Amino acid sequence: MRTVEVLFVIIILLGALIITIQFAVLPSPQQAFGTNLRELSQSTLETLDGKGILTETVFKDPNDTAWGNLQKALSASLPPNVVYNLSVYDISTSSGGVINYHLAKSISDAGFGVDSEAASLLATSPNVTFTITPEKVGEKTGENNTLYILNCNDANGWWIVGYSAQTLALDLYNLLSPYFQTTVLVNSTYELGQLLNRTLLTGGDGEKVEDAVVINTFGESVPIPSGYYTTVGYDPDATYKYAKYSWYLGQRTNQYNWTWVSIVGYPFYYVTNTDFFKYDHNGWGIYGMKMIYQAGVNAFLQGLSNQPYTYNETKITERPGVVYLSSEALDLCNYYGVYPAPYQTSDRALQSSILSTYNLVATEIFDRSPEYPNCIPAATYRHTGGGALTAIGLTRTPDIRVSVLALLMYYRPAVYKSEFGASCTSRVVTLQLGQQGGT
Amino acid sequence: MAGATIDHMVAVTILIAALLLTMGIYNQMFASAVAYENNRKVAMKAVDIINTACICPGNPEDWGETNASLLGFGLQDPQAGGYALSPYSLMRLRTSSNDSQLVEYPPDSGLFYNNISANFGHGVLSPVGDCLNYTAAAKMLGINGTYGFRIDIVPTLDVNVSQVLGFGHLVLNVDVKGSGLPLSGATLNYHLFHVNKTDDEDPFPLIVTYSGIAPNPSGSVDIHFSNVTDDDPSYSFTVYVSLGGVTGVGYYTHNTIDSESQYIIPLIQDFDDGKIIIAHNWNGDTPAVTYNATFFILTSDFQLQQVQIANSTGLLNSGAGKPYNTTQVPAYEVGLLVISYLTPEDDMGNVILPWGVGTLGVSISFGGDPTGYSFVATELRQVSINDISYQAKVSTWSLNG
Repeated sequence: MRTVEVLFVIIILLGALIITIQFAVLPSPQQAFGTNLRELSQSTLETLDGKGILTETVFKDPNDTAWGNLQKALSASLPPNVVYNLSVYDISTSSGGVINYHLAKSISDAGFGVDSEAASLLATSPNVTFTITPEKVGEKTGENNTLYILNCNDANGWWIVGYSAQTLALDLYNLLSPYFQTTVLVNSTYELGQLLNRTLLTGGDGEKVEDAVVINTFGESVPIPSGYYTTVGYDPDATYKYAKYSWYLGQRTNQYNWTWVSIVGYPFYYVTNTDFFKYDHNGWGIYGMKMIYQAGVNAFLQGLSNQPYTYNETKITERPGVVYLSSEALDLCNYYGVYPAPYQTSDRALQSSILSTYNLVATEIFDRSPEYPNCIPAATYRHTGGGALTAIGLTRTPDIRVSVLALLMYYRPAVYKSEFGASCTSRVVTLQLGQQGGT
Repeated sequence: MAGATIDHMVAVTILIAALLLTMGIYNQMFASAVAYENNRKVAMKAVDIINTACICPGNPEDWGETNASLLGFGLQDPQAGGYALSPYSLMRLRTSSNDSQLVEYPPDSGLFYNNISANFGHGVLSPVGDCLNYTAAAKMLGINGTYGFRIDIVPTLDVNVSQVLGFGHLVLNVDVKGSGLPLSGATLNYHLFHVNKTDDEDPFPLIVTYSGIAPNPSGSVDIHFSNVTDDDPSYSFTVYVSLGGVTGVGYYTHNTIDSESQYIIPLIQDFDDGKIIIAHNWNGDTPAVTYNATFFILTSDFQLQQVQIANSTGLLNSGAGKPYNTTQVPAYEVGLLVISYLTPEDDMGNVILPWGVGTLGVSISFGGDPTGYSFVATELRQVSINDISYQAKVSTWSLNG
């Protein structure tokens, strides 16, 4: 009798066991992971679009060979056991404001098992036309400032590694000329001499020496015209004898109400003229250049603030290291569509004490480093009596977008934006991945 | 009475057996669940580590470009963002898992260098003191003593280069594969650094560069250099392969010296300033050599831009004379330092230091050894280094069983 009771108990126990096994299906410990396909998919999309090639391809005709190349690239990138499906959807908005997605193209290499994961990327067509109509600098005030970009063919640059002054001049021309009524390239030191003597270079309508912006594309060196300026700019008693030339530049900047722009490093550290300094080099093997050391920027600031010239080679920079664009500067990046890296390395930040010494007001574009609160990484320093110096005290290689941003932040020209052809110009790219045999 | 007792004993025995069987099965299920949970933790840790490595630049962000000590681990290129790795941070990883893999220079000096090799002496030799080791990285990731990890960063494309003989001039075959299959239709940007002896007056070897762009319709293509005879020339060859957003690097070298080791070794002295030591290999059998060093910046479209460097030529000797010279490359520009050298017997060789690991397609393995662990979770991501496509794989395992 008891055996029968026990059999009942065993049946209940085994029944409970079978039911538990039936409903509590535990995976094998070895199945605790599978490659995270969603993140693999995301990283694949991002790396394929690293140079904009994916975006370019997804807007091409479905029969274009670029699709075949994309398929080969996908097959080459993904592990052999991973299958994919890349789908591209057109995004359009109906008149009722409803957003619709239409499949434009799909490529895949095999069917999926049970499990797959996907990631997506929003691509904007390179054919979308945005037009920007900028306000000209000085249009409101009537100053109608002219932009001069130093492009001298008889000068050498320093701390512009990887670039030449001429290529930088061209880039600056492309970036900034829309904001100025007149832009003039200063093609030789002789022309710079003319400019310093208030002579118009083109004689064209709109060119005006006064209130101009002068950008020195030669980095830490500054072109010097031979003749008058190599004579009056020469100080026989000074250790670095051409520091006085910087004083003249400062004085002219004040006199003509210029904004002088130094794009990188220590401003006015060398003077350059490949004919006049044919046999001199800067100490690093670059001929056509002579060092004026730290005296250069001091002399310039003396000239800018109408102080008499005194040779002074006291160092007025520090090295705060990594600095970050201020929130205001970041907003202006979006406003003007100029995007330098939001953090930069500052090696030649000017000390804030120059503000009181030389009666300057600074428009700063970086937050100051907490460790160096008295150093200004990059700013436009306006003298209260006229003239300004934009000094970008960052390390080489120069990112001219920082200089452009500093100038735009200082002058604040308005931009009027309009967009054409924006309909059907965005596409969503989804990349679905699955492991062969399921996960 | 006896029948009832027997009946009772049989019933109890069967009951106990059934209970034991049930408990055993339940126990197995629970053990399996616990093991699954533990493995899941390891898998999650692998995701955590690969995300930290690939999409976090570390602290300070530019640690790869300086000699600064590292406070937080990460390999992302802070200037590029996304899944782009810093070519400089990777040079500061101590990839050698034991001291025997380190290079001591000069011999018996106690100065050791980490060796990230491309092949045949070409690669990055970084001072060990400036390199981040595995234990320090594990501490920064908060897993020291609990989890082990290994990061393998390998080029996505497999680009093989070989010399084809019998044409009377130099012919190199470039074979491109991705995921084991030939990759057809790619565009090749190639550069040949041919080492020449100029004349008897000039003791320094000359590097002549030939560059070009070639299509690769079938996945394998021959590139002809009609200006270079194939009578045992000394040269290095790099090729950058691009197709549909994926890019790879291939590399090949040939020396006329009758030795398996290079006569000149380039060593990184300072990451901050880009200082490089160009050193004689300090082997007693190696003769004095004259060298010619040139640095080429690699532009975004895979062209080379030559830059003047200090001490670009010199005479190096292991006995009497100068054993090394120091030069400086632009620290924030990736490129190739190509050094050609010449022996008094007119044998020639060349060695390349990639400044930024992507420029020569060097692979990196950093971390511990997962051999012997029962469960190893892996995670894979596509990344880029200087626009060269790589795959980053992180393997993770628990050290607590």
